[in-house]
Amino acid sequence: MKLPRIFRTTPFRLTLLFLALFASAASAFLAYIYVATAGEATRRTEREIRREMRSMVDVYDRAGLDAVNQSLIERAASEKPFLYLLLTKDGRRISGTIEESPVDDFTGAPAWATFQVTDIDAQGHAIKHPARGLQERLHNGEILFVGADAGEDEAYVGKIVRALQAAGLLVVVLGLAGGVLVSRNVSRTMVDLINVVERVRNGETGVRAHVRGARDEFDELAQGVNEMLDRLERSMAGHKHAGDAIAHDLRSPLTRLRARLEAAYIDVEAGKGNPEEALAQALEDTDGVLKTFGAVLSIARLQAAGQAPDPVLFDPADLAADMSELYEPFCEEKDIEFSSELTKGLSVRGNREFLAQAVANILDNAVKYTPAGGAIMLRVRRRSSGEVEFSVTDTGPGVPDEDRERVIQRFVRLENSRNEPGAGLGLSLVAAVAEAHGGRLELSEGPGKVGDMGPGLRVAFILPRA
Amino acid sequence: MRILIVEDDLEAAEAMARGLTEAGHDCVRGADGEEGLAAAREGQFDVMVVDRMMPKMNGVQLVEALRREGDRTPVLFLSALGEVSDRVDGLQAGGDDYLVKPYAFPELIARIEALARRRDTGSVQTLLKVGDLEMDLIARTVHRAGQEIDLQPREFQLLEFMMRHAGQSVTRTMLLEKVWHYHFDPQTNVIDVHISRLRSKIDKGFDRAMLQTVRGAGYRLDA
Repeated sequence: MKLPRIFRTTPFRLTLLFLALFASAASAFLAYIYVATAGEATRRTEREIRREMRSMVDVYDRAGLDAVNQSLIERAASEKPFLYLLLTKDGRRISGTIEESPVDDFTGAPAWATFQVTDIDAQGHAIKHPARGLQERLHNGEILFVGADAGEDEAYVGKIVRALQAAGLLVVVLGLAGGVLVSRNVSRTMVDLINVVERVRNGETGVRAHVRGARDEFDELAQGVNEMLDRLERSMAGHKHAGDAIAHDLRSPLTRLRARLEAAYIDVEAGKGNPEEALAQALEDTDGVLKTFGAVLSIARLQAAGQAPDPVLFDPADLAADMSELYEPFCEEKDIEFSSELTKGLSVRGNREFLAQAVANILDNAVKYTPAGGAIMLRVRRRSSGEVEFSVTDTGPGVPDEDRERVIQRFVRLENSRNEPGAGLGLSLVAAVAEAHGGRLELSEGPGKVGDMGPGLRVAFILPRA
Repeated sequence: MRILIVEDDLEAAEAMARGLTEAGHDCVRGADGEEGLAAAREGQFDVMVVDRMMPKMNGVQLVEALRREGDRTPVLFLSALGEVSDRVDGLQAGGDDYLVKPYAFPELIARIEALARRRDTGSVQTLLKVGDLEMDLIARTVHRAGQEIDLQPREFQLLEFMMRHAGQSVTRTMLLEKVWHYHFDPQTNVIDVHISRLRSKIDKGFDRAMLQTVRGAGYRLDA
């Protein structure tokens, strides 16, 4: 038999455990109360019986048997009488309010007995009461029994027992109800999370857990699960994209390479033409393929690792100065004015190689799209947020607002740039480097339109403060 | 020169050996780390090309073992890994250079020859001479046929590297690595512009050009 879900939840089981512990503690407590109160009632009765017995023995010692008899009759008529029985030496009844002694096998030593007395109530019904009594031998051998009705004590103890039973029941019921309530609450949250996990397992990778805003551990768990799923999704998308991308970007150069080799082969077979040219071109194509391959691998590794390897602390201006030095002649060659504005003394933590490559790729991109007569500026500065920003501004055609996000995506190249050479990987690698350093990439408009130049593009590579 | 190739990918090793043999080198092959170590202990080599990941004994362990025994033969690590930390690990283990698979063959041969050359120049030189080109490393001056050539600091470093490897092909990646000290492949050929500037300074006005472009490989400085 399968229990309903609520009874199988961890909180409910915990509740049961706590309930059991609490119930044992409560029972021990209630048992103590019972012993203390019920015992006290009995002891009080016995104390009164003993006092009465002393008083009667006193009368006997002072005034003899007849006085006791007399006193017994007087006392039996009082408001709340004791029970008396006076016997001769050999146990024959002399007088008293009960017929015979409840004490069997009387040895002569004081003896206690518990017995029952029968009362007739107003309606004539016989009611049995529990009673307790003490029997002692008097000096001259007569026997005196003094007892008392314990019915009131019994009723008192009974009340206590009933109260304790009710209290016990209340503990169990409240505990169970509380347990069910807590379990229901907890398990509803858990079931939500379990459902999310189940759905993700079945392929609905877009599902996310509901964060209730209670800021408790369930919210933390839900948030953690969501972040994990986000990251997995990104990573999966990255891997899927990497496959597509490798296929896409390697297909055309490989096809070109094959065509070139085939043409050279045909030429050589026909004994005409110079195959050297074709082979040299093929070699160059192969280098291009290898370069693309390397870039794809770098992106995949950075995304898989999620962080840059071997981070070091360094001055970003130094790195930017190196890149300026590397690219300045290149710009000059293309008749592009290159300038830089580098704030010294800042520090960033990261992988120098990857960051240098990122800046180089941004510069590559700028040089590729900036026409002769244009300008490129490399800047390093500290943002008001404390972040460090490398930025490259060019006076090329820029990127339309709606395409900027797409540009960063791997291999996406804008339609109007299809005829430009390049792997189309540049900015995606830059974005991967930024992400691996906890930074980001921002694209915005350059200096604006001047003549047939512009509006330009400004690529900012932003790293968190070191 | 004699080259030891320790590579467990037999096809790759075969292709490498054929290429190196055609380039006039003598090749010995080891198919795993243990074989490689035995071969290295047995023979004298100018350069060893060692794959990092191999069965039995990996490349790093092999080189560490050799270095402990005092063998200083230059080692070029080959690796399919290629993260920067792998490169650092390899160089710390006693490797002298590092090449990531897949590589272009000219890159491999250029690096092998550069390593062999480095071994030759054990003594400290203060004057480099290639043909009629002279470089004074202390005065930081360069003359060609007695005529002083004014170079920027980076151009000086570039020429120094080319002169130390005169007669060999050096690739663009090698230049970026050894002259600029950055290990990445620039997308565009930024290095070409630096070379052409240098070329215009050392070859302009002379009837013979020393700084040659090697198709599919890089550059070479000829005497």
